Amino acid sequence: MNTTNTSSQTLSERAAPYVSFLGPMAMILAILLFMGVVEPARYFRLSNLNQILLDAALYMPMAMAMTFVITQRGIDLSIGSVAALSSIIMAFLIKQYGFPAWSAALIALCLGALMGLINGLVITKFKVPDLIGTLAMDLVYRGFALVIAKGLVLARFPDMITEIGRGQSLIFLPTPVVIGLITLVGGYVLLKSTYFGRYTIAIGSNPEASEMTGIAVDRHRVYAYVLMGAMAALAGIMLTGKLNAIQATSAPYFNLHVIAAVVVGGTSLFGGRASIVGSLAGVLLLSMMINALVTLRIEFFWQSVASGVVIIFSVALYTWLQKKDRDGAASLSATFKNPDNQKLAKMTALIAGAAIILSIISLLLGGDANPSG
Amino acid sequence: MGDGNPIISMHGIVKKFGGVVALNDVDLAAYPGEVLAIVGDNGAGKSTLIKILTGVYQPTEGRIELDQKPFEMSNHSDAIENGIDAVYQNLAIADHLTPAENLFLGAELTKSFAGIELLDNKTMKEQAIRVLKDRLGVQLKSMDVPTESLSGGQRQAVAIARAVRHDDLRVLVMDEPTAALGPQETARTLDLIKTLKTQGLAVIVISHSLDDVFEISDRIHVQRRGQCAGVVKTAETTNEEVLGMIVGTKTAA
Repeated sequence: MNTTNTSSQTLSERAAPYVSFLGPMAMILAILLFMGVVEPARYFRLSNLNQILLDAALYMPMAMAMTFVITQRGIDLSIGSVAALSSIIMAFLIKQYGFPAWSAALIALCLGALMGLINGLVITKFKVPDLIGTLAMDLVYRGFALVIAKGLVLARFPDMITEIGRGQSLIFLPTPVVIGLITLVGGYVLLKSTYFGRYTIAIGSNPEASEMTGIAVDRHRVYAYVLMGAMAALAGIMLTGKLNAIQATSAPYFNLHVIAAVVVGGTSLFGGRASIVGSLAGVLLLSMMINALVTLRIEFFWQSVASGVVIIFSVALYTWLQKKDRDGAASLSATFKNPDNQKLAKMTALIAGAAIILSIISLLLGGDANPSG
Repeated sequence: MGDGNPIISMHGIVKKFGGVVALNDVDLAAYPGEVLAIVGDNGAGKSTLIKILTGVYQPTEGRIELDQKPFEMSNHSDAIENGIDAVYQNLAIADHLTPAENLFLGAELTKSFAGIELLDNKTMKEQAIRVLKDRLGVQLKSMDVPTESLSGGQRQAVAIARAVRHDDLRVLVMDEPTAALGPQETARTLDLIKTLKTQGLAVIVISHSLDDVFEISDRIHVQRRGQCAGVVKTAETTNEEVLGMIVGTKTAA
């Protein structure tokens, strides 16, 4: 039998493998164009581009590891605390016990890997779902960091640490960018050419089939969390070097920033689809976006809003692209004819109306705010 | 068919799950170059029977012979090592991996690169193309797409290729190979089964579709309530007779 030519593939089908890369690239281009029009002088300064890369570098190792975790249908919310705890311990080893910087940094990496291992065991052996397990471990690690460091800010580290965080090893590339890119290349090789990478995709794609084929599913899931922990610790060291200071509350939003970058890069939250190149593009995109907000002198707090919106839009876009059969959702009018959607529209109007009416009444009544007590 | 010696034979197989008797004194034999169909109602013991044949379950009583020598399996790997494999209804395929990656899943080929063992994707792809073409006569338009983008029949071919990739495969069990396929894909899959038969494999097919069974099989083994209701040669029976045996209104001559 010849199974060639099963109807010509549609355009979207042929473009599918590249979407992960094209998506963030299009958004990066959009930012470049926008900034080119609005604020070219300050955005395209060499020092600013350098700054963007420096910011992005911090997230590259974690985005690489998170790509594996998410591809296996997992998630790791504890990375910020892992980074903080391992670098706090590194800081104490250097400042209080006089450890040489290189050994303290390596110990921090080991501790990060150990924390990842604990995450992995909690998830695979205790059968705690990834989301809850790493969320709880996030509290544990953050708590330990606070216990150890109290409110202290540990600052002023040996040159080696600051070199890792903000050195200019090559004329134009900062050291952390070199480190970040090396981890990404390593991740690419890991994904394409090792058992771990292959099984990561298989597990995310079809866990039952992987089990039937004889793949050690739980062991490979633990591997992903160990890698994630080590990379989070590396990011912690880079952050310590970049700021030349560390405290227990550092790195609070690592988890969402990294997950956003990975998902924007086209790695599927539903497992099986991984893109290391996409994760790099996602990291660059987020850094460029945040930098653009800063350049435009938009208040810092808007960053959080922007990151959230980017996550929602990219996941929605990929879900829409994934859907093969779009017959049902042809037109906007059809959407509004659906009785369920009509009810939802009514409820939206009701809630918005209630808020507006209450506001108007309150404004009319007016008066001073009398604080209670 | 029927001539020569069976590759594998089961004698007086009994399987109990707690107090439930799933199989009661069942015999079965598979010959090279023959398609044996197993039919029967739901709960007749078809699945249990082939799970014992492929080493997934162990019989409570009875014996299995491979090449007329006593043979025991403690798990599915034992079966694969001895040339017995199965293609399951859900195909056990990782949709996001390419056909070649699925073919070698769990048994990847490696090469040494600067002392580090890396996957040899190129060789695996070449071998996958060869297995699909030489053994199954299937040529995929692209080997670099995820398996999910293939048609049902092509995915079936990938799953079968994973089993026949082992040169020492002698018995292939297929559980409902056409259940999820359209008419055209069904015809292609039946062609695949015929191809495997001409290559000297013993093919055992479980199916609910008597049309398919009559098109491809040489013998039909009818299971009914955990017992063998009879084994008939396909050429010497009719659709009605087999149906009667399945529901229990007729017994084999």
